[in-house]
Amino acid sequence: MKRRLLILTWLATATVAFGVRGYAHHSFAATYFEDKRVTIEGELVQFLYRNPHSFVHVETKDPKSGETVRWAVEWGAGGQLGRQGVTRETLKPGDHVIVVGNPGRNDDDHRLRMVNITRPADGWKWGGQFE
Amino acid sequence: MNWSRLVKRSVFTLLVTGASSSMVAQIDLSGYWHSPMQEDALERGGGPLSGEYIGIPLTDAARMRADSWSASLLTVPERQCIPHPADYGPSFSNLQIWKDMDPATRQEIAWHTHMSWMEAERTIWMDGRPHPPAYAAHTWQGFSTAKWEKNILTVTTTHLKAGWIRRNGVPRSDRATMTEHFIRNGDVLTWVTIVYDPEYLTEPMIRSRDFTLNPYGQMGAYPCESVEEVDRPEGVVPHYLPGKNPFLTEFATKNGLPQEAARGGAETMYPEYQKKLRTLMPKPATKP
Repeated sequence: MKRRLLILTWLATATVAFGVRGYAHHSFAATYFEDKRVTIEGELVQFLYRNPHSFVHVETKDPKSGETVRWAVEWGAGGQLGRQGVTRETLKPGDHVIVVGNPGRNDDDHRLRMVNITRPADGWKWGGQFE
Repeated sequence: MNWSRLVKRSVFTLLVTGASSSMVAQIDLSGYWHSPMQEDALERGGGPLSGEYIGIPLTDAARMRADSWSASLLTVPERQCIPHPADYGPSFSNLQIWKDMDPATRQEIAWHTHMSWMEAERTIWMDGRPHPPAYAAHTWQGFSTAKWEKNILTVTTTHLKAGWIRRNGVPRSDRATMTEHFIRNGDVLTWVTIVYDPEYLTEPMIRSRDFTLNPYGQMGAYPCESVEEVDRPEGVVPHYLPGKNPFLTEFATKNGLPQEAARGGAETMYPEYQKKLRTLMPKPATKP
């Protein structure tokens, strides 16, 4: 009985959790390694606040070659971010940011799915899930 | 009362009752409908992995195309703002339905559906007009006509632009047609889609999606802007050449399934496949 209750509780939790999972026009699972995380730190060079998904472009230095790498970090749709207090003015080119994200499956894309972002200069942070 | 007047009154009564019965016979589908995403939630939410074809009656040609698909393809500017086609749309977002009535006859002219995501909108003609000739343009939403079958609205759609069956590259051709059934039970709407594709499906692909009525529904605009999402040389079209996609075995491996099952095909749609699956699964080690 206890086990059945546990299973039912898990199922209910999973249903709620999955119920609020994202509406992505692409498959996140096919696009990113959802079970991996990487951290990048660098200068924000572009903030594309838009539908279907916003993008933050961050330039970092490759520690081995010293070459500049431009990362595309995928984020929520403009409307979704707006409901979370993120506006198109929240981030600006030149901001120094630290981003944690799920890495893209295509290495050439230098792409991440946003998990969290921090701007150390003023301590601003965002973390969470997006659709 | 003379005979002439009696006949006139009878004819008038018949016309009135006949017309009104045709008006009240069908259920009303109008309203805002919320997509609770409970059915096939993982596939519709986070999405499938590459190589996850189980349960799809796909042809070898479809499998080959899907194997060559790269998720990066959707980052090219030309593809960022395309809506889901009519046959995939029900999987995805909230819905508004309304109808046009002829003001004089009070007969239905058309039903309309509007999906919030990318503002995909369809017109489903009820006035008996024919479908356009084969050479007419194919569009994301196709050309749809419908008729009432008791309280079920049955829709036939042709002229679909080439689309997809699943968001992992499983294709649907522009030769495909679709039959749909809109079934309302109280505040629940079940939308059944049956896709026939002589190119990429060996059997019809049948799916159902449930929606719940939302009397407080609102649907905002969904503008979409194409940008350079990813920094890449101009003209590159992301893809995998045959045999080069490294992710095709991931789904089966993660879920402890035989690779053969993940490759899909009509056989994998049916409950009987479970028997075959048991023979394909590795036997658990026996205790000495």
